[in-house]
Amino acid sequence: MIGPSLKPVPRIMIMAASVMIIILGYTYLAHKQHIKNPKDKTIPTWVQLKEGVEKIFEKNKRSGERWIVVDAQASARRLFLGLLWGIAGAVAVGLAIGCFPVMEAVFAPSLAILAKLPPTAALALFFVMLGTGTSMFVGIIVVGILPVLAQSIYLAIKDVPRELIDKATTLGASRPELVWNVIVFHVLPQIINAIRLQIGPALVYLIAAEYATAHIGFGYRLRLQARLVNMDVVYPYLAILIIFGFLMDGVLKYAMNRLCRWYEYEGR
Amino acid sequence: MLNEIVMDIKDVSHSFGKGPKRNRVLHNINLKIREGQIVSVVGPSGCGKSVLLRAILGTHPPEQGQIVVYSGLQNEIANLRLKPDRNIGIVYQRYSLFPFLTAIENVAFGLMLDQTGILGRLFHPWKWRKMRKGHFAQAAELLEKLKLKEAMHRYPSQLSGGMCQRVAIAQALIMKPRILLLDEPFGALDEATRAELQDLVLRLYIENTSARQKKQKPPYTIMIVTHELNEAIRVGDRVIGLSMYWNWRQEIQSFPGTTIVYDKSAPVFLPEEPVDYSKLQEQKDEIAKAVFDPAYCQDRDEFRKFWVEQQINTTTIL
Repeated sequence: MIGPSLKPVPRIMIMAASVMIIILGYTYLAHKQHIKNPKDKTIPTWVQLKEGVEKIFEKNKRSGERWIVVDAQASARRLFLGLLWGIAGAVAVGLAIGCFPVMEAVFAPSLAILAKLPPTAALALFFVMLGTGTSMFVGIIVVGILPVLAQSIYLAIKDVPRELIDKATTLGASRPELVWNVIVFHVLPQIINAIRLQIGPALVYLIAAEYATAHIGFGYRLRLQARLVNMDVVYPYLAILIIFGFLMDGVLKYAMNRLCRWYEYEGR
Repeated sequence: MLNEIVMDIKDVSHSFGKGPKRNRVLHNINLKIREGQIVSVVGPSGCGKSVLLRAILGTHPPEQGQIVVYSGLQNEIANLRLKPDRNIGIVYQRYSLFPFLTAIENVAFGLMLDQTGILGRLFHPWKWRKMRKGHFAQAAELLEKLKLKEAMHRYPSQLSGGMCQRVAIAQALIMKPRILLLDEPFGALDEATRAELQDLVLRLYIENTSARQKKQKPPYTIMIVTHELNEAIRVGDRVIGLSMYWNWRQEIQSFPGTTIVYDKSAPVFLPEEPVDYSKLQEQKDEIAKAVFDPAYCQDRDEFRKFWVEQQINTTTIL
């Protein structure tokens, strides 16, 4: 960055001001829209939004369920499984192709092709191959994040200085030790950063798939409520997704601070 | 008889590329290094010092010839250098330390890799923890000896360049390698830190001398590659000059590669001793002429007098 970094107090004040501008801008737009049409639902007022939130948390009289609980449970399960398999697969494939030339020759071309495939465009393919159950949502997330994540890990491994590998060998490291004790530890910050960057795309793939096929979940609810122009429900759902994204990012940042303290000291 | 030779480089030649683009780098390198020697290797830029070093390390085995490292045991089978292993330690100018380990962890890292395996560490955690304590104690002792007590728990990015190199030397020495390679280790350091680290190497020389006096094996054999002539002469007790400037035309049609054109003992000026600059300058001028002067294309044996000076027949010390 050019110039000195900001001190904490002015930095926080500027950040708060930027959020305030968005809130005030929204308030002004909603107000203006409601002067034109008092029953408008496209830009709900804060009071309408409050009612929308109440609707989300309200117990359904027939089923006895709350929208937020059933949707969160379904989406979280799909996202968790998708991320789990996607990250585990990417780490395994990334390490294999980064460390072993034979694996590089086997997997690198197919990964390069898969990385160019937009999973949302291939939704039909997922329906046919995986049906419309949980495995379809998990599959779309895995296919969406695995190639990019694996390629990030592969490139990070390529950047490990050759000297460190040779040095570890002179210290008696075996092949598995080179992978685990040198390479994994060296690229762990890049792996965590790459996962952080893939949380957003994973959510996009999940919501897109739920939008198209689900009977429950965040994407389903958003599609349903958007059709009815119930933006008082849509906006809180979007806000929940944003908060969820921040939480995930926070957890990964915390993991980075705990596991890769050295990376912070390097000023990266 | 015990083997006093630590490393034997036999008829090593190396070139890169094929056909008309073939680039000859090393030609007929023959070098025996005896236990306890501190050998400086000098040469013009691009003469192949690093290629030789990589060949010795085992990362790039030579095209022709052999590099053999002896363990010093009786009737041993020599260890041919085909890949890096723990017989040779290395300190690079850059990337000498693992950035994700603290200084003490860096030094203890080799002990861990050498004495334990992944499965052992995983399935015998209590035994491993006990061993780990011992490794840290050894590492701490060595770091203290190198005046790095205060920096033990810092990461490499929190250390100065000189401190990093001292930790890197400790990391290599704790493994007791048969030979320690230093690849321009002090090249990126300021003058004062460089002198301090040269003194560190000279203190290892003193330990070698006292071991010899007690009729023991000298513990440290070091090969230091440097472009600094003062450093080469001051730190090494033997200077090797690699050069492309030699009278190859008398023997061969096309340039066969760099070879050893200088091999003589060097005066050692211990840390507390005054440096005899006239002696140093005399040898510096000789090396400059023999190794760096393209106009002075001499017979390549003219300055290769080390074993003659020592009055040793190399065949008898094996």
